[in-house]
Amino acid sequence: MTRSPASPPDLGSYVRAAAGAGELVVQPRMGMAVPSEMAAGLTAVAGLAERTVGTITLDSYTRVGDHSAAVAAVRAGKPLNGFPLVGHGPRITAKVAAAAGRHTPVQVRHGSADPRAIFRTMAAAGLGTSEGGPVSYCLPYGRTPLAESVAAWREATRFLAEESRANGIRAHLESFGGCLLGQLCPPSLLVAMSVLECLFFAQNGMTSVSLSYAQQTSPQQDVEALAALRLLAEELLPPTVDRHVVLYTYMGVFPRSVAGAGLLLKRSADLAVRGGAERLIVKTETEAHRIPTVAENLTALRAAAAQARRTRRELADAPREGSGEAGEVLLEARALITAVLSLSDDVGTALLRAFHRGVLDIPYCLHPDNRGAARGTIGDDGRLRWSEVGAMPLLATVGRSGAMTSNRLSLMLRRVAEQHDREASRQAPEPVAAPVAPEPLRIGLIGGGPRGLSILERLVARCAERPPARPVEVTAVDPYCIGAGRIWRPEQSPWFLMNTPAREVTMFSGPSDGGPARPGAGPTLAEWWAVADPENADPEGYAPRVVYGRYLRFVLGLVLDARVPGLTIRPVKARALTTDRGPAGDGTGEPVHRVRLDRGDVITVDRLVLASGHPTNELDEQQREWLNFAEMHPPLRYVVGDSAAEMPLDAVPPGATVGVLGMGLTFYDVVAALTLGRGGRFLPAEGGGLRYLPSGREPRIVPASRSGIPLLTRGRNQKTAEFRYRARLFTPERMAAMRASGPLDFQSQVLPWLLAEMNIVLLGTRLRHAVGPDAEREFGEAAAAVHREEPPSPAALAVLAEGFGPAGEPLDALWRLARPFAGRRFASPAEYRQELADWLREDLADAVLGNYEGPVKAASDVLRDVRATIRSVVDFGGLTPDSHRRFLADFNPVAAVISTGPPAQRSEQFLALLAAGVLEPVGPAARFRADRDLGCFTVESGQVEDSRVRLDALVDARVPSTDLRSDRDPLIRGLLADGVIRTFVNSWAGGAFDTGGLATTDTPFHPVRADGGIERTMFVLGIPSEHTRWFTQVGSGRPGPWGAFTRDADAIAEALLAEAAPRPRSATAEPAGMLAGRAAR
Amino acid sequence: MSPTRTLTPYPLRPAAAAPEPAESRRVLLTTGSSDAHTWNLVYLQLLLEENGHSVLNLGPCVPEQLLVDTAQLTRPDLVVFSSVNGHGHLDGLRAARALRAERSTSDIPLVIGGLLGISPDGAEQRTAELLAAGFDQVHSDGTKPDVLLSYLAQLPATCTERAAA
Ligand code: B12
Repeated sequence: MTRSPASPPDLGSYVRAAAGAGELVVQPRMGMAVPSEMAAGLTAVAGLAERTVGTITLDSYTRVGDHSAAVAAVRAGKPLNGFPLVGHGPRITAKVAAAAGRHTPVQVRHGSADPRAIFRTMAAAGLGTSEGGPVSYCLPYGRTPLAESVAAWREATRFLAEESRANGIRAHLESFGGCLLGQLCPPSLLVAMSVLECLFFAQNGMTSVSLSYAQQTSPQQDVEALAALRLLAEELLPPTVDRHVVLYTYMGVFPRSVAGAGLLLKRSADLAVRGGAERLIVKTETEAHRIPTVAENLTALRAAAAQARRTRRELADAPREGSGEAGEVLLEARALITAVLSLSDDVGTALLRAFHRGVLDIPYCLHPDNRGAARGTIGDDGRLRWSEVGAMPLLATVGRSGAMTSNRLSLMLRRVAEQHDREASRQAPEPVAAPVAPEPLRIGLIGGGPRGLSILERLVARCAERPPARPVEVTAVDPYCIGAGRIWRPEQSPWFLMNTPAREVTMFSGPSDGGPARPGAGPTLAEWWAVADPENADPEGYAPRVVYGRYLRFVLGLVLDARVPGLTIRPVKARALTTDRGPAGDGTGEPVHRVRLDRGDVITVDRLVLASGHPTNELDEQQREWLNFAEMHPPLRYVVGDSAAEMPLDAVPPGATVGVLGMGLTFYDVVAALTLGRGGRFLPAEGGGLRYLPSGREPRIVPASRSGIPLLTRGRNQKTAEFRYRARLFTPERMAAMRASGPLDFQSQVLPWLLAEMNIVLLGTRLRHAVGPDAEREFGEAAAAVHREEPPSPAALAVLAEGFGPAGEPLDALWRLARPFAGRRFASPAEYRQELADWLREDLADAVLGNYEGPVKAASDVLRDVRATIRSVVDFGGLTPDSHRRFLADFNPVAAVISTGPPAQRSEQFLALLAAGVLEPVGPAARFRADRDLGCFTVESGQVEDSRVRLDALVDARVPSTDLRSDRDPLIRGLLADGVIRTFVNSWAGGAFDTGGLATTDTPFHPVRADGGIERTMFVLGIPSEHTRWFTQVGSGRPGPWGAFTRDADAIAEALLAEAAPRPRSATAEPAGMLAGRAAR
Repeated sequence: MSPTRTLTPYPLRPAAAAPEPAESRRVLLTTGSSDAHTWNLVYLQLLLEENGHSVLNLGPCVPEQLLVDTAQLTRPDLVVFSSVNGHGHLDGLRAARALRAERSTSDIPLVIGGLLGISPDGAEQRTAELLAAGFDQVHSDGTKPDVLLSYLAQLPATCTERAAA
């Protein structure tokens, strides 16, 4: 072979050599109409110190074969969007290409469904490197029939391979299959198309190819896609074919600002290195506006190469971060490729048939040979998913999502651009000067909901009082809404209510003091609401969750605006994916935490606080079975999600019969969404209560639960913020003394005291009404004096109370309140519903009497008032393993029914819906089944005759409980796998109970490592530590003296700031035993 | 074609669920013979349909002859020429001349917009040339497509009658 002297070097070998040297090859998209300008551009690119490839991009007339128009435009001096290669001919082209010098490869990029003329001219000019493909240069580019494109490409590919060989050069083709329309095509199809086109090239004689992939919307998914691409290429391409992977910087609507465009470019270089791509084709900062100048291209090439080197260094420091797993993208891509290859041995023919049958289908592509049934969409997590798969052999991964509108389309197209413009404008230019001593303490806060916010609030308040010795920098990370988090995020149905009265909610650690609202002193939710939205506010009532979300954002605003010396807080809207430890940080001398975010970057911090809130768990076996069952029996539906805001309830059609599993707080949300949310209204009824005016669009709602009743109505609040209950028998001191003697049995040792306490209030309140306040007080004192050693039985207390006046019957067991229908049988659903209505009316009457004046609700309220004492008994292994298990299984749900109930309004609505026939509860001891014979779900009560109902949809309204072992959060999974955190196993005297909650120490709540050591550089607050602690699902502080919510946040803030004072350090891991009580064992 | 298809490029179809506006217009949507970009077309079609108009979307790379033939056949109330690849002024000139040369299409309202050149230089001259070639409106780069809605709203009623004739 004689290599023609004028030809540029071989692209494949050049890239391989660069990869061997650990360098990313960078390449522009560049094309000018005038030869001298094109040549100057190539010279400039080749002259860079980076490893570059020169590009000749052709103009649009040449692409569509309209060479005369191209020539005419050049002659008339009209500008073109690229180099008219055919029009200029081989001689001029060869001269232009030579301007890149002898060491830089040159590639011709076009976009033509029929490249024969282009390849002929190239070959004549001694060029053998180009790009495209029979599909990728046809369907997204014009109207040439696919069959013509395949035929033309087959011929052209063979021609280029042979002609180049004759010229002594190796031809190279890059598939453009990784781009397609540039946006909204899920990665699996891009990967599949790249591989298929390279197979097509190889089959038609190409011995050197490159597989492309264009950066999409989620860095994590992109890494997966690149891994899949490499894997499939290894698997499927003949081993003799030289290949590498080329990444394209984002090909969709580009950021408009220079900074935003720069940021996106850098992320693509970072991605190229992480994903193992060997070459990167860049975009410039003018992409959104105009064809770039040469200088702009050079800037982009330099920036990309520099970022690639930075990333490469980072990876060398942390070799564990590999190039990711291919996961879902790989599965889908493989399914597509396999399906296509099965259609014919000839890849070109197989591609044709595949499009004809819709086995391949490019979303939003207008070409007549494309079926056009597939749709891609961007998920909340930023990943591109299929919302419609048409006839492709795939499963749609997101639910069908209403009709596409211009507005929605525009939002999706602009998403990446706007995200980067925004981020770049927020990221103040990094300080160039070396940071001044002392080094800041860097804190990462994972979770921006109320718990995270409560820590920020205390950090600011404390720093405002006393500036920290060292600067403190906090990065607060939340993928949903910083300040509100997922549960309280402002985008959700306005019908979802809080279940704490607005007056009892605050996020400030101190009351308003007349000065401006600020961390440490600010309004309660009720106070803020009355001012912020005077027309709609109901400060005496219960706020919608969206209102609380807005309040939280208001508090966050004050936290961020506080600007206290020494403290910086940076909110980052992203999901934390993984953490690992890096080299010792300057801040503390301990290994730093590196937290990788889903948007691609890494934050490095000295301390990590985990406040990630409600878990999203894997479905359990039963749930998976139901889901599969529903999928196999369309239009049957199984709706599951950890909160109503996450459920696609719109999908439940009007008139359908929908079962609701669980009658707790989520049930009320579901009902609100299906009634109020569908245009129904509640009007005052004659004779009190409410009447429901249906919209006609509601389904028939069939709820069921173990007890057959909804949560008990919350008593009208009659206690001021300052009110603090003083227990007579169930005192913190008594419980502390009992706990000191070793783990307790809740049912036999603790519960009797609690029940006695409730009875004192029940009987005492009745005495107050019958005799007077003195009688109540004297009774209480007597009870406390008489029963010091053993808890009194309900009967004994009743006898004692009789001595002071008529006090009525005591409550003989706690569960009586929560299980009124235990052991009952009903002859018909109607009978059950009648009794249910009577029962709820009675409960409502109790609620109206209030939580101080009403005996029953006052007694129930004890459970809330003594919550802290219960926690002091239960938390950190205060119960024996067996008792702990029963505490969670039995006491916990009963306590929830009694003490976490909704406002009276909700119970009234329940009654109105019952009367209107919209709500048809099934009965106690209900069982849901997937009935294979009927092909639908059914539900039936074990205590009600003839209660079986067939369901068109089943909504799972149970709130998943913390269990790290089935948590889907990648961060938590990773920490657990690495042994940095572990579940709390309550073990004692040979028994053991794995609670599934995150094991922590007592204040300030460090996680306990798998090896038993304490992870002192980390803190955990709230729901992840549920089960180690009890009742962490509290999303707000209370006005008045601090409760646990504020105290816990403050303890962490204090511990963090103590770290900011320089001090000598010892080893990090010490045995946890002493500090954590039994939590560590 | 699959029944689930929502973005049909070829058939002229009435707006699906959109509220019927006072005047529902028939729009022929096209681009330059060299222009491969389609997101602009997809977007404009949705926007116009949502506002009660019916749209015939010719898809990418529309040769002049196809444009003229379709305009003769369908007699639209308006032709919207959308181009972003930088050849809009060149392709637009040829399209306008072809439409205006044909008697039956010489009076159909015709507007153009998108990103019409490869640089801001010479925008005024481009606009003048395009107007002279027969465009009724030339929207400078960056103009929001909403202007089409007000333009459609004020088109004389005769257009619709002519279309029905
Ligand atoms: C996606 C894309 C592609 C995809 C297109 C896939 C497809 N089938 O659509 C691919 C990768 C295939 C592609 C190819 C090319 N592209 Co391109 N592409 C883009 C990109 C990144 C986004 C365009 C987009 O989707 N926008 C979304 C839609 C909804 O918005 P829009 O198109 O801007 O339209 C809006 C307005 O312009 C306006 N509008 C549009 N029409 C009309 C009409 C009227 C009457 C009115 C009032 C308003 C109006 O309203 C729309 C909605 O807001 C842009 C750059 C950018 N914006 O970031 C470059 C860009 C448009 N492409 C460009 C070029 C040059 C090309 C190529 C020629 C390659 C090259 N030489 O670099 C080829 C085209 C080949 C050909 N034959 O035309 C240039 C155009 C340069 C110019 N005008 O000066 C741009 C600006 C990039 C650049 N800086 O170089 N491209």
